[in-house]
Amino acid sequence: MNAIKVDDLHRTYTVRTGIIRRSVKHVVAVDGISFEVQPGELFGLLGPNGAGKTTTVKMLTTLLLPTSGTASVAGYDVVRQGQQVRQRIGFIFGGERGLYWRLNGYDNLRYFASLYHVEPDVARRRIPELLELVGLEDRADEKVEGYSRGMKQRLHVARTLLHDPEILFLDEPTIGLDPVGARQLRQVIRDMQQERKTILLTTHYMFEADALCDRIGVIDHGKIVALDTPEGLKRHVSDLSVIEVEVYGIPPETVDQIRNLPFVDTLAVEDRDQRQALRVQTPRGSEAVPDLMASLNGVRVGRVQVREPTLEDAYVRLVSGVDGSG
Amino acid sequence: MIRLRQLVRVALLSAEMGLRHAATDAFVIFAVFVQPLIIAVLGLFMLRERGGDYGMFVVVGSGLTGLWSSLLFVSGNAITTERWTGTLEVLVGMPTPLWVVVLGKNLAHVLQSLGSMVLAYVAASLLFGYPLTIAQPVPFLISLVFIVISFVCFGLLLSPLFIVNPDVQRFQNGLEYPIYILCGFLFPILLLPGWTNPVSYALSPYWAARALHAAAAGEATAASLALDWGLMLALGAAYIALSAFLFKRLLDKARRDATLGFQ
Amino acid sequence: MIRSLTLNTRLFFRGAYLSYVALFAWLRPVTYLASKVVGPLMQILFFALLGSFATGADTIDFYVIGNAVHVVALSGVFGVSMSIGGDRWNGTLPYLFGTPANRLAIFVGRAIIHVLDGMVGVFLGLLWGVLLLGLDLMQTDPAALALTILVTSFSTAGLGLMLGALSLITVNVMFVNNFVYFALLIFSGTNIPIDRLPAWMQAVSSGLPLTRGLAAARAIIDGASLPAVSGLLVEELLIGLGYILIGYVFFRWFEIQAKRRGTLDLL
Repeated sequence: MNAIKVDDLHRTYTVRTGIIRRSVKHVVAVDGISFEVQPGELFGLLGPNGAGKTTTVKMLTTLLLPTSGTASVAGYDVVRQGQQVRQRIGFIFGGERGLYWRLNGYDNLRYFASLYHVEPDVARRRIPELLELVGLEDRADEKVEGYSRGMKQRLHVARTLLHDPEILFLDEPTIGLDPVGARQLRQVIRDMQQERKTILLTTHYMFEADALCDRIGVIDHGKIVALDTPEGLKRHVSDLSVIEVEVYGIPPETVDQIRNLPFVDTLAVEDRDQRQALRVQTPRGSEAVPDLMASLNGVRVGRVQVREPTLEDAYVRLVSGVDGSG
Repeated sequence: MIRLRQLVRVALLSAEMGLRHAATDAFVIFAVFVQPLIIAVLGLFMLRERGGDYGMFVVVGSGLTGLWSSLLFVSGNAITTERWTGTLEVLVGMPTPLWVVVLGKNLAHVLQSLGSMVLAYVAASLLFGYPLTIAQPVPFLISLVFIVISFVCFGLLLSPLFIVNPDVQRFQNGLEYPIYILCGFLFPILLLPGWTNPVSYALSPYWAARALHAAAAGEATAASLALDWGLMLALGAAYIALSAFLFKRLLDKARRDATLGFQ
Repeated sequence: MIRSLTLNTRLFFRGAYLSYVALFAWLRPVTYLASKVVGPLMQILFFALLGSFATGADTIDFYVIGNAVHVVALSGVFGVSMSIGGDRWNGTLPYLFGTPANRLAIFVGRAIIHVLDGMVGVFLGLLWGVLLLGLDLMQTDPAALALTILVTSFSTAGLGLMLGALSLITVNVMFVNNFVYFALLIFSGTNIPIDRLPAWMQAVSSGLPLTRGLAAARAIIDGASLPAVSGLLVEELLIGLGYILIGYVFFRWFEIQAKRRGTLDLL
């Protein structure tokens, strides 16, 4: 049985603007996605901001009604059997909110434990364990309003584990965290997976998805554009090499020129202070370098590197909607 | 099948949380304690002309204004504040029904607001120079129990009402005096035109005021108390039924329109 | 000299315009209706009924006029103090203090629109009194009444300015504002005749705005002429000016402190 099963899920928002002259816009957030997650799997939903990741998770955690399509979590339908779903899942939407800032960490957990129907003696045992797991055991008696963002995030993680759910939904759990905090949190997530929990994680950090997930669903504009293991996704672009060129002050016309070159699959430009890094995906590999240099005539060039594609390159290709065109 | 015990535990913990939050909130302290005290002072000066045993009458009346303020502003905002702190989403995603949490908070607020009556009593006693007496203390105390039950139910109705219909919330500030007037807190409703009486009868604070004023003055009879208590319970049940409908509507609407999160 | 004058005048009217925008732009019709029309009506009804219960139906006018004129406190205390304090929360305070222009012009300019708004509120209140509670205005000299309300609204706004300046350094602004609003109900003769108050409370009454203006209004509605109440009006005006002065001193003191400690934008 699937832990999570999503079947042609749709969600459209209606946006009403204006006071005098009302206009109605329909925004399609999720446009017919389907996927399945096996028990014990760590599944990632990877996509840029606005792709529909959070909307999908909200539907799966019964906070949002789909416009059409079905989804089931732990075998229960999210729309019609919401109560049973809620008993079996934990979720984090993270951020600064969602905690009672006038209470301390311990009391927050105590309160949520009761909301999850955890027996008091079980809670009394589990809360200190969880606090230690997320590294908050020293700060548990301070009011949450004094916590840093990373600490609040970690308290959220502790909260979701109170009732020992089988399935966890983590929506961008490391966003806004400093690198150390993010690394700590990722370790906690790995530990949870060791306990054979099913985890659905959303993120827009490629390396995070690569490092943690068993399988990744790449989502963009409300649709799943690819679904595979990280290795499988990389293979998706294995036919391509990536040429990385460091340039100093490249004019926009030249960028467009390069993009339209016949052997260039995709071109990504990254700004690094006064330099730009061009990442060219091309099937011709190192052979393409001379032609590329020719089109960069007049532009000061730094390092040139030809390398194997990474997950990030696969992602860029998938999300730019390209497969052959520029 | 969710066990009753667990729900009771949630309600009690919510009550504890509600008390801790509300105890330190400046707005709550003003609305529930300071404002009724000012009304008590006004009442004492104004009704002095009238003579008679007006001391306890003012204490009861101004105390009731405190109870109503608490119900209107604190309990009424119970769900709205959860949305502000971003915890509404979390609560809705929990297996515990939302109304249990709100019930717990209401209980805390109503009990806290009884303090306003105590405060008015102390102030009035100081002003007069002797402790005021309640003619029928036992009926008075039993009435308070019924009042707590009934007001908790009323609060359960108000919080989803304010969220489901934001226009109603805009009139929140304007709902203080009308209740004082219609429920006979500080003057009998026979001063009002007759056509307003049905409105008064549908409000449990009216029966609360009747019971307390009568018990304080020694005029309560078994029959009058039975009527007051009975109606407080009946109206409480009606408020619960209405609130159940509103909660369902609130959650459906929120899930459909994605308004659970912080706006 | 001329240049400074024109600059200050411009600032004065700029402030007035900003207040107008702030007051009416964010107040949607329903909210305005609820807080400026229905709210005062409810207060008048409550105290009129309570008053007639307390001292007899023939005394109802006392309470009606009292609570109708008290409406100046709504815009005077809340409106004015928030228009000053609003800068603190908008983060625009540093800009206010940074200008070399006369701060008084800005200060007072903000209050003008609320003075007018307060007058409108009082007239609405009196109208309710006439329509619903049998208030008789036949003996009233309209010009005298209008002047009285203007002066009273002005002096209450003066109190609001002082509270506004205070609000720049206090934490519990709404608590203080609400307390003053309700205290005026007790001390200004709105619901309790001044001579029925103990001596120490009467002392407070005489230091507050609204007290004399209300007395003048009651006299005028009872048929008195303007010269008869002119003494009261002059005193009311002076009280208002006094509060403005104190408020301005607070304002300047606060500015100096903040600039000295570099805490201007920390608020």
